[in-house]
Formats: sequence, C-alpha cells, structure tokens
Amino acid sequence: MKYDFAVIGAGPAGYVAAKKAAASGLKTLLVEKSKLGGVCLNEGCVPSKTLLQAAKTYHHAKHGSVFGVEVEGLSFDFPKAHAHKNQVMDKMRNGIAGLMKKHKVDVVEGEATLLPGLEISINGETHEADNVLLCTGSSPAMPPIPGIDSEQVVDSTGILNRETLPDHLIIVGGGVIGCEFACMYASVGVPVTVLEAMPEICPNLDADVAKTLREELAKKGVNFKLDTKVESIDEKSVSFANAEGSDSLDGDLVLVATGRAPNVKGLGLEELGLDFDPRGGVRVDDRGATNVPGLWAAGDVTGQAWLAHAASRMAEVVVHNLTGRPDRMRFDKMPAVVYTSPEVAVVGLTKEEAEARGLKVKTGRIPMAINARYLAENPDESGLCKVVLEAETSRLLGVHMVGGACSEMIFGATAMLETELREEEIEEIVFPHPTTSEIMKDVFMAVR
Amino acid sequence: MATPIIMPRQGQSVESCILTEWKVKVGDEIAEGDVLAVIETDKASFDLESTAAGTVLELFWEADDDVPVLANVAAVGEEGEDASEFRPADADSAPASPEPTLSPGSEPTAPVQQESATAQAQTEPAPSSSPSVSSAGVSPRARKLARDKGIDPETLVGSGPGGRVIERDVEAFIAGRPRLSASAHSKAMDGLEPPKRGSGLAGMALAGDMRVPGAIEGAETEPVKGIRKVIAERMMQSLQSTAQLTLHSSFELTNAQAYRKQRLADGKSKVSLNDLIAHAIIEALKAHPEMNAHFLGDRIAVFEKVHLGVAVDTPRGLLVPVVRDSSDLSIEALSVAIKKLAVDCREGTISPDDLAGGSFTLTNLGMLGVETFTPVLNAPEIAILGVGGIVLKPKRSDSGEVTYADYLPLSLTIDHQAIDGAPAARFLQTLVFHLENNPGEPLSQPNE
Repeated sequence: MKYDFAVIGAGPAGYVAAKKAAASGLKTLLVEKSKLGGVCLNEGCVPSKTLLQAAKTYHHAKHGSVFGVEVEGLSFDFPKAHAHKNQVMDKMRNGIAGLMKKHKVDVVEGEATLLPGLEISINGETHEADNVLLCTGSSPAMPPIPGIDSEQVVDSTGILNRETLPDHLIIVGGGVIGCEFACMYASVGVPVTVLEAMPEICPNLDADVAKTLREELAKKGVNFKLDTKVESIDEKSVSFANAEGSDSLDGDLVLVATGRAPNVKGLGLEELGLDFDPRGGVRVDDRGATNVPGLWAAGDVTGQAWLAHAASRMAEVVVHNLTGRPDRMRFDKMPAVVYTSPEVAVVGLTKEEAEARGLKVKTGRIPMAINARYLAENPDESGLCKVVLEAETSRLLGVHMVGGACSEMIFGATAMLETELREEEIEEIVFPHPTTSEIMKDVFMAVR
Repeated sequence: MATPIIMPRQGQSVESCILTEWKVKVGDEIAEGDVLAVIETDKASFDLESTAAGTVLELFWEADDDVPVLANVAAVGEEGEDASEFRPADADSAPASPEPTLSPGSEPTAPVQQESATAQAQTEPAPSSSPSVSSAGVSPRARKLARDKGIDPETLVGSGPGGRVIERDVEAFIAGRPRLSASAHSKAMDGLEPPKRGSGLAGMALAGDMRVPGAIEGAETEPVKGIRKVIAERMMQSLQSTAQLTLHSSFELTNAQAYRKQRLADGKSKVSLNDLIAHAIIEALKAHPEMNAHFLGDRIAVFEKVHLGVAVDTPRGLLVPVVRDSSDLSIEALSVAIKKLAVDCREGTISPDDLAGGSFTLTNLGMLGVETFTPVLNAPEIAILGVGGIVLKPKRSDSGEVTYADYLPLSLTIDHQAIDGAPAARFLQTLVFHLENNPGEPLSQPNE
C-alpha cells in the first residue's frame, strides 16, 4: 500500500503524529509491534502514576491523624491496585484505538523494517510512504554489573508487573525512575535503599530541589547511599563500595534504574545510512528531520529529553513541518516532573545552566510553607519554589519547584517562559487565592 | 552650572569629525573621562571623552553628523538646567524632545531614520521636556499611513522615541511582523527588529530573535563604521583607481642576521628585521627616487624625502602611521620612531596627523606565518613593499656547491599607471642587494 505518512511506533510520539497527520488529510499508517501507547502507557508514566496514587492514598489514610482522620485496620491490597492500574491502561489503549479509527489511520501490528526508498516491510508485506516517522522509543539500559541477570533483579518494566511487596527493595540509580519507585514502595511501608553513584540524587535537577526531595523521601523511610558504586549482585544481596569502604545489603527485589537506551536495532537503519549521535540516538535537526530525506524521528529514539510530553511535541513539530507550518523544538522550555510525594516540577534553566550560557542571573527562593493552601494540605512536608531571572532584564529563565502537587502548575511557568515574560509582567498576573500556585508569584518577593 | 563639551581638534589637518555613535543619552550621569561618543576622521576613529562631570543635558548633534572641530557637542550640568545657550547655530537637527512632531499639521521633515536616532538619545525623557505629554503618541506620517491602510495606530507597538508609533511601525505591521514576546518587545524599543518569523510559540519573536536592522539569519551583523569604514573606503578606492602589479623576490638573511647579532655584541641597541628592511627601503629609494611618489591622475609627485608608512595591526583594525622625514633618520632613530608609532596605534592615542602624508609603505605579515602576499597600494602612493615569512631555500655558491640558507620573501606592489615593471624590478634588485650585502649601512653600491 502507498501512504503519505507512515509512523513506526505507537507511543506518545507515534499516535500523536498519526492522529495529527491524518486529521490534516494525510493517508497515514501506524505500525506497532506490541501495544498502542508505547512505554508511557504500558510500562511507564501511566501504570507508575496509578500505583503511586495507590501508595499516596494509603499514606494519607495512615497519616490522616493531623486532620482528625483516624483509621483502624488499614491494609494495602497490592493486587487490587494493579487491577486498577490495568483497567486504566486498557481504557487509555482503547481510547487511542478509537482515536486512530476516528481519524482513519491504518493501524498494523507487527515489526517494521525500513528498506531503501522509504519502503516499510511488515509481516512480509511491503508498504511505501512519502515520509516516515521513526518513534520506536527506548528500553531500560542495563549496566554491566556482575550478577545483573540474577532472578530478583528487575528493570522499570519488570517491577510494574510485581504484585507482591518485597521485604527490602534495593534500587540501583537515584534518578527520576528510581525515586518514583522508592517513594511508591516506601509509602506502603516497604524498606527501600537507593544506591546512587553521584553525590546527589537526580543530578540534572536544581541542587536545592534535589536535596529537598531526598530529605522528604528519607522521611518516608527511604535510605539513600550517595557516591556509592554497585560492584556486584548475587541471588540475595547487592555489594557496593563508597568512601566508607565495601559493604553489601540483602534485598529480595532489586530495581536497576540507571537509564534508558534508544531502540534502534533490527529496523534496517544502518543500511539506510542514518546518522546517529555519539550516545546512540538518531540525530535530528530542530524540526525532527534525520539526514535521510523523508525520514523523521521523534521521542526517545532520538536520545533527547526522555519525556513522553517531549516525544509528543517532537511528533507534532514533525507533522507541522510536513503540512506546511514552520515549527521547531524548543527543548530549553521543556517542563520535567518527578511524580514522587512531594512532586518535583521544573522548567527552564537552573542558575548554573544559565551562567554556563554566559547569562548574568538573579534568583529568588521561598519555602512552600509560606503558602496557606500548601500548609493546610501538607502540614508535615517541606517544599520550595525557586526562580532564575536574567539580572538585567528580569526575564524569567527557569522555575524549580518541589512540594505538593506542583506538577499541575508547572505549565503556568512554561507559558511564562515561552512568552518570555519578565518580572514586571508576571507581577500583574492574578493567581487565584488560596492556591498553591500563588507561590510562583510570591517567590518574586525573594528575588535578589 | 552647565558646561559645554567641544569637539576636540584631532591634529592640525582635521577641520571636522564625523560623530559616528553616541555612547550616552540625555539624562545619563557621567564622570570626567567617560566616553561620550565615537568620532572619526577620514583616517581613523576615536573616543570622545567628557571634559566635565554631571548629567547629560543636551546632545547637539545626531549620529553621522559632520561636526566642525571646536564646536559644542553636548552640554553637561545639573539635572534640569537649561543648556540651550550652548547649542551651536549649525546644529539644528537634533530636537531635545519628540514634541515638535506632535503638534498637528507639522509634518516632520526628518526622515524616519532620524526619528530613530533621536530615540536612542531619548529612551528616558529629558527632564527639560514638557511634562504635559504623557503618552509618546503617534507620528503624523504613521497616523496617515495607518488611516490609509485601515489600521488603528494606537494599537501598535511604537519603536520611536519613548515608544512613539512611527511610520516604520505601521509598515512593519503591514508586512506581517510576528507577535513579539514581552522581552522581545523591550528589545524592539531599543531599535532591534524581529525576523519575519520568530523561533517561539507559533512564530512569536523571542528576545534572542531580535536583530539590528539589516541583520542576516544565522549571522552576527554589525554596521560598518569607524575605522572599518575608513579602511573599506580606502581599500576599494585603491583597487579601483590604480593599476596594481606585484613583483615577488626574496633576500638571503645571512648577513642581516649577522648584522643584528653584531650590534648586540657591540653593545648597540636592538633593531628588528622589519627595522632593517625599513632602512633598506629608504636607502634604495635614494637610488630610485621615482618609486617615492604619488600618482595624482594628471601629475606625479616625486618626494624629496622618504615618509615611510608602516602598517600596524591594532585591535580596532589596520592603521598606517607615517615616519615623517624618515630618510633623515639613522637606523636607530628609525627603529625608535616605528616602535613609538606602533604603540600609539595599538593604544589608540595616535594623532591623525601621524596617519597621513606617507610616500611609501611597508607592510609585514611574516610573523603571522604568511609566506608571500600581494599588498594593496596605499593610494596615491605608487609602491608598497610586503614582507613574508622566513623560508629555507637551497643556493649555489660560486664554487657550484649547493647549500641551504634562510630567505625572506618580498612582494612589491606598484601602480603601473605611474611606473613600469622594469624600473620597479630594478628598485627591488637594489633593495635585495643592499639587504644581502650592506644591511643597516648607507647605500654603497647602486645596482644599475
């Protein structure tokens, strides 16, 4: 069959691209080898957020005393939480299938191989397309640690299928994924130890935000070992080394969350002469175009951002450019969230990143606890909000938050960044009272 | 009390200077010695420093005005003082405030560019300006164009003085200027322009997209002014008005290096190779005076003495100071004179008088690794000698034996209008012979 546009991979890049392209009148093919929704819906964002909400609900019930809520006989039924998770995933997958049907996207299940001339071979059939979008996503990258194939070792996909709570969860890697699972399991009473090779968790975050997050998770019972290198894993324990020497911990479940790698094998990409960046991602320009004419890429396969919403936006940029609307990626205004309790939400530059770009900056930082709504709802939690401004113009460069459900308000900061608002304009924006979002206005009082 | 700042006399030969660029605006606090403006003569550009401290009360001229020396340029004093008594009679072009164009029916006679030039001096309204005008308003020409095109000019973003809507703003609106972010807008007030399509939301122009008028995508553009403009004009004029022919030769360095060594052994001052060549040129010109001349179209002026110009690379660009009456100088005095002029050029303290009146020019790129090059005549001079870098060459001795020696390439560019190739070659021969046999000494053996 001959298509205007073929999309390989039905994750948050692929299905968004397929829908948008088809809605613009392009005859569109969507190929998926597994399940609609990709990692995000089936092995990532959606299931983890469902389980995190289960853990949070349990945590609230257990710690409701301050609000006068006393619960007796509290228990946590993990399989039931999984059932809810599965239901949510089913609903969302059906939603995508319905969306594809509505927009007349041809959805084919199977493994695609790209042939020269933008031909796509699937299940022995060959299709042609004027343009092809590669969005095959990424997979957990397993580091070369001796014993990493031990039975109790799982990756982020594997842990989402475990319906029993372990006695002790050891997490290798204190990045976003490691922290979210640490929060989830610690919230329901499982002892958790996080082993992180760097001196601080989530090293890409603002240092104050990362520190606050670590301290809050520690309050929930997560034990952090920083500057710690894992040396080996056997059937029941993990051996590691740090400044204090070598040691080992027993754990019946080990989550390895040290990063992800683009899915670029078995697709026929090498034969096409496709260009890759040094870290193995498909190299694209700011429109999503690869070096092969007609071949585009979006999402984790490019090795950039590693965020579902970034993948969707990259896909959107590709379709816009294909349909005559000039558009380009702006990664420097890409919000990022850690869905722990408290949540972390950031957008734009940290002070250090801004200074590395030669900008002179000023910053403001206030504790979330000065906010009435926040204090009322999160009596035992610490949080903060920090802004980075260009010193001379007071242009907003970055917003960094930890506390409560701050993921829900980071879009406001993104809008401010995208329109390059300055302090004087933000001052005139009205924030409803009492909301936690007021923190983004009040933080400017602390700017110096 | 208000004090006038005058245009200093830049050497005896200069009657007026172009005021290239104001560095201050009305209302600025300045100290004695602060740079008020950049000014240029036809030879070089200079900083105009303030001779008084206080508030800038008035700037009597606009950028690009030709200001007579000793005329009042600006007035400095206490905020609010009247400085109109210092306004020179012939400087009527720079109004102190934008009001004059506000009165109904008075079409501004100044072109749009002049309005914008005034804008730079008027970002802060001068204290002396009428307080009754609170809004910057719309210029009559802008209002007329807007009315013709059915646009409400009051809704436009003004880029004129204090945000006044001028004709250019209406034209830009018609041309489909992109929306400006808040930060880009403030750059527009500083006179920068957005591209046709910005890099922000749906093509919104961001601060980083704003460019000086005439900018080119993907390039930093800077207006050609000051010393660069002088060089550009003189180089172009040279190539267009002369018939340039370059002759290449080289001289063996052995004796020249031995001479320099011997001087040091004898406790004499150090002279550079460049000094030796300068000296040799002067000596060779004694035997070939026709090379020490200006070609003036209808006549040729052959100079009695050699006034040697020496090209100097400075942070602001190429300068050619002249050692006046250099044929009267010993090699020691010549060396000192060249050194002093070069230092003055690099430090920007050179007098324009020292940048004019040359009869022959020496230029040297040897220290920058250049082997040979074709110098461009410093018209109306009819010859310029370029010196390249040392090259090792084989040579045959009288006995027929081949050995190696260091040579220095020389390139002589002449104006073929004034002199033919053969006499020029004879001059070059004399020069080479002298440098190889009697470096640093008076010319002993005319090579005819």
